[in-house]
Amino acid sequence: MPEKIDFSKVSFLIVDTNPLSAQLVRDILGMLDVTAVRTATNIERAQNVLRRDGVDVVITEHALGDESGVDLIDWIRNAADSPDRMTPVIMLTANSAQNYVMTARDKGVSEFLAKPFTVEGLYRRLVSVIARPRSFVNIDDYFGPDRRRRQVPYDGPERRSSDG
Amino acid sequence: MAKRAQIIPPRPDLKRKAVNFSKGFDLKLTPEVLQKLETVVHKSQDKFTADIAERLTDMRRSIAQNAADASLHPYMIKALSDASREIKGAGGTIGFDLLTHIGKSLNDFLDGMSNLSARQLEVCTLHIDAMYVVLANRITGAGGAVEAELMRAFDEACAKFREVS
Repeated sequence: MPEKIDFSKVSFLIVDTNPLSAQLVRDILGMLDVTAVRTATNIERAQNVLRRDGVDVVITEHALGDESGVDLIDWIRNAADSPDRMTPVIMLTANSAQNYVMTARDKGVSEFLAKPFTVEGLYRRLVSVIARPRSFVNIDDYFGPDRRRRQVPYDGPERRSSDG
Repeated sequence: MAKRAQIIPPRPDLKRKAVNFSKGFDLKLTPEVLQKLETVVHKSQDKFTADIAERLTDMRRSIAQNAADASLHPYMIKALSDASREIKGAGGTIGFDLLTHIGKSLNDFLDGMSNLSARQLEVCTLHIDAMYVVLANRITGAGGAVEAELMRAFDEACAKFREVS
């Protein structure tokens, strides 16, 4: 029997300054039977929601007016007052140039999806963070999901504790 | 000396409460569910096109109000850049791929600029006019040969007149 996701059990926070864009994501989640959706238009409000209510998954834009969704990720992953450093974060953004992707990845984004997006692309990211979560890595200057998605041959010294 | 990396297994809480074998949606999207989800996007098309039209109007207004005064260019460029990024993100989502291409072209063109010459302003205006035409004629998808030629012309114009000021 195949695995299923009961999205009605999952709560979301959408962080986007564009109300239409946030509403579209909310409507898509609603079609998936999600009932617990919060929205925020800036980092401070997002932090308040996360501190007060806590959510299972954050979906954030990169461009948040004069702020950046990367700063929100940085706060979630590294701040002393972060309520949950391992909260899955999907970055859904029109800022899709490689430098944006790399910066988000290096701050600990769980999944990245460029706008314009397809519902299929969004669904795949939701499945990934809920049903196929990655291990986290904690090292000098990084705390976040394991950035090694592909298994490629590596001849250098093993530095990870799990590598023995 | 760098410390060894600590590997933390994924926390099972979320998976445990949401993943099961009886209720919910298959991990692989079925055609039926995909169709339902696409209906949601389709229903939002009118709101998005109205929003894009408003952004285009605002872009024209911003140029009309600020172009003559170079000290206002940073403000104008920020407005044009923000609007073009939003259009780039929204266009393709609701089926207007060409809007995304033109929005991206303008957004890339403005990247890093703080002032615009008369020629550069003209490049911006042409992008905005083209987006109006796409929207007014409801040209969905990437268009055909004419649209491909239009994008090639934009690429050339941007390359020719793009010098960070």
